Amino acid sequence: MGWLRPSHFFFVTLDQDLAADMRKLIFLLAFTLGADVWPQTPQTPQQLVQDAIQKQQGGDLEGAAAEYKQFLKLHPEATAIHSNLGAALVGLGRFEEAISEYKIALRQSPALNEARLNLGLAYYKMGLIQEAAVQLAKVHAQDPANTQAVLLLADSYLRMGQEKDVIRVLEPEEQKHPDDLAIAYMLGTALIRENRVDEGQVLVERIFRHGDSAEAHLMLGSAKMNVSDFAGARDEFAKAEGLNPNLPEVHVLYAKALQFTGDSDRSVKEFKAELAVDPFNFDANLQLGAIARQEQNYDQAHQYFARALKTRPGDPGVRYQLAVIAVDEGNPEEARRMLESLIKESPQFTEAHVSLSLVYYRLKRPVDGKREQEIVQRLTAEAQAKQPGVNPQQ
Amino acid sequence: MNFSRREWIRLASSIGAAHLLPRRAVSSQPQPLFIEVPASASGINWVHENALSPSRYLPEALGPGCAFLDFDNDGWMDIFLVNSGPSDFWKPPKPVRNALYKNNRDGTFTDVTEKAGVAGAYFGMGIAVGDYDNDGWPDMFVTAYGKCILYKNNQNGTFTDVTEKAGVATPGWTTSAVWFDYDNDGKLDLFVCSFVDYSGVKKLECGNNQIGRNYYCVPRVFQPTPSFLYHNNGDGTFTEVSKGTAIAKALGKGLGVVATDINNDGWMDLFVANDTVQNFLFVNRGPGPNGRWKWDEIALQSGVGFSETGRPRSGMGVDAAALKGDSWQDLFVANVDHEMFSVYENNKDETFHDAAQAHGVARATKLLSGWGLKFLDYDNDGGVDLFLANGHPDDMIDNYSMQVKYKEPLLLFHQGQDGRLHDVSEGAGPVFQKDFAARGLAVGDYDNDGALDILVGVNGGAPVLLKNNAAKGNNWLGLKLEGATCNRDAIGARIVWKAGGKLRRRLKTSGGSYLSSHDPREILGIGAAPQIDELEIHWPAPSKQVDRFTALPVNRYLRIVEGRGLQGTGQGPHDPSASQQIL
Repeated sequence: MGWLRPSHFFFVTLDQDLAADMRKLIFLLAFTLGADVWPQTPQTPQQLVQDAIQKQQGGDLEGAAAEYKQFLKLHPEATAIHSNLGAALVGLGRFEEAISEYKIALRQSPALNEARLNLGLAYYKMGLIQEAAVQLAKVHAQDPANTQAVLLLADSYLRMGQEKDVIRVLEPEEQKHPDDLAIAYMLGTALIRENRVDEGQVLVERIFRHGDSAEAHLMLGSAKMNVSDFAGARDEFAKAEGLNPNLPEVHVLYAKALQFTGDSDRSVKEFKAELAVDPFNFDANLQLGAIARQEQNYDQAHQYFARALKTRPGDPGVRYQLAVIAVDEGNPEEARRMLESLIKESPQFTEAHVSLSLVYYRLKRPVDGKREQEIVQRLTAEAQAKQPGVNPQQ
Repeated sequence: MNFSRREWIRLASSIGAAHLLPRRAVSSQPQPLFIEVPASASGINWVHENALSPSRYLPEALGPGCAFLDFDNDGWMDIFLVNSGPSDFWKPPKPVRNALYKNNRDGTFTDVTEKAGVAGAYFGMGIAVGDYDNDGWPDMFVTAYGKCILYKNNQNGTFTDVTEKAGVATPGWTTSAVWFDYDNDGKLDLFVCSFVDYSGVKKLECGNNQIGRNYYCVPRVFQPTPSFLYHNNGDGTFTEVSKGTAIAKALGKGLGVVATDINNDGWMDLFVANDTVQNFLFVNRGPGPNGRWKWDEIALQSGVGFSETGRPRSGMGVDAAALKGDSWQDLFVANVDHEMFSVYENNKDETFHDAAQAHGVARATKLLSGWGLKFLDYDNDGGVDLFLANGHPDDMIDNYSMQVKYKEPLLLFHQGQDGRLHDVSEGAGPVFQKDFAARGLAVGDYDNDGALDILVGVNGGAPVLLKNNAAKGNNWLGLKLEGATCNRDAIGARIVWKAGGKLRRRLKTSGGSYLSSHDPREILGIGAAPQIDELEIHWPAPSKQVDRFTALPVNRYLRIVEGRGLQGTGQGPHDPSASQQIL
């Protein structure tokens, strides 16, 4: 999120109670384990943990992780050490191992909010935005004053296209922190996307009062996109990108505006630029995947769609694209399964009915094909009936 | 550095991705494949009036169609150009009319419209030429917003409006039409595409665009309509016979149509391009048990109705041909920008797959909107090539699109040895570096040199006549097929020829392109082969007779009459000693 994008992970330091527990634990360990437990090291368990923490704070994450693990072999019940090991592993980019450690910690101490926040962050960093949101929502419920949690939660909702949830979470925060530009930016974006443009405009102006900012141009561009002023939006996004090329979604929004104004080549470049900043951006992955599919570059399309699904698991648009690839690649049975599942969830998904009808015919199931075809005709007629040319008074 | 034409073709084919070259960068091509013939040289001074208004009524954007036809049967292709006219939304401030240009046989044309009596009286759209009364003289059906006109050829350089008498006064807004013999009774029937219902909403204006003006409504907002099928009664009248059939049930927004035979069952089928609703593929199943003709609409299941992602596109121009030179008809449909055009290859089981990517057509057409188009062998090497005429429907698109333009380039694809269509437009001549608001496109050999020329109708502008310069050096044989028991135009005939060891097949389709009609003669390109070793004409029903010929001379036109063989010569040198055999 530009200034909101987490650039580092929170380091869980032991609070006083935890430290006391740890000292107690170390004392017990030293008392009960005997010398042969640490035959290769002169360190006591307490020294081992202190050394690991020092290494972690000093940036020696490998060393810290090794010592935490050494400790946990003998004391897997040490909740805080699991959490600290998770933080070290995140720093090393070993997210799956980190998540495993955080989960152990939370099984042992479900109320350990710091570990849950870190788990949410690990998911976020992996692009598993939905899982991140689940954890961050729990942190937020347990600790409403945790600003970091609420901002990350709102950002996760934004990335999942859940603007109403962004507004629900941030509106109270905005009243408490009227000068917080991060909150103003995200809330404003969500309001504009929800077509509450006037309310969003207030927040845009607030941001502009703090000077010409990328965020304000991005929001203005979004507002212009909402009213189909694509050329205007394109210009705003270009300014935003010029001011801060690392602003989340600046490239993807610019790319969309370029698409609408007919500049396909630059649009593709911008989608790719977004992925360079945020490899799990949903829209960029979806659009680039669709282009790759269109060009029959199916392996690349699969890669983009896989990442898009990480951000929005089960997204019907992505799943439909994958079903189309299955048809193209001559796997009608696989396509049938995917399309039937999609239609069960979204009965009004006309394109999916079209494809399913085609697949049934290819599978020599004409009765089913005909049934789907009739659904297509009904949905098409319903959509046509809403057009102004049919009812000129509308 | 000079290339021979052959070298150029080979080079262009091997480039394949010629579209990757910066457009307009190539200017030194010594031998243009097509040469634009200026009005000063052709004498064609007619200009299309598109009736452009501040309200932007949609019919303004769709015309005009055009045709090559030999209305006076002198063996030289004449030209017909359709114009707009009075309507319920436009009263012309000065007279506007269609144009019929007689070919002077010297590369020039003379306007004979008034004498011929074909000026029109309505907001014209397109033209379909066919000899519906089998008298050997081509008649014309002119579609329109408002009222169609059937012009019967009086065999003396004039025509008579027989629309009402013939029973083909088609209501609404008609676009492309096609003559074909759907019931194989030897008489041409007529299919007429109907576009949207524009009657009750003609005042509908589609908002303000980004520059604060009305723009042409996307056809999506208008109600679809059924098309029309007229059965030829054989007495100068027609009966509308679509009622109760799949044709009447299929509500579309038809813009293009081609009559072909997609399953080789001897019954002519129809492929219809629709705008913003699915395309239709009407498969002719022959007479039904209830006395009605049986048509199945199979576009969805055959894979030609929607885009790959299940969306209807803005289908405009269509055509059909056997790209591989076999007996299976492939289909083509042009769409609007960002939808890409489709090359539907026949799977031989009434299904198709879109091979536009493999042919390089998808990428080349991504930003274009296609209207008139035609499969043709422009260089007479025997392979099926492709010509596309393009232009965006919105005349203000340049104001709010970075890449899509109102006026767009013509595209020429050559079929290489790999069987793929390669974009060779870059080096095809200066006219391919220009942009047009192109609509209709007709193909015909107006100078009888055996090379197919091109006529493009331009919205609000002068037509573009292109002389073919690409076929020099390759041999050819032109055929004027004349049905005796089958329809006189021999639509539905199958031509099989062998030359230079290569066997090729062609179905005489009808229609194709957009709003336009083509030279009815068939030119068989044979490359360097010195003669046609074997030729078979498989005449359509009712006779289904096969006429066979051997060792035919080349570079001339021959007239072949069903069951009677060669009947003298058309234009071009003719060797009367050529052996012929009718079996």
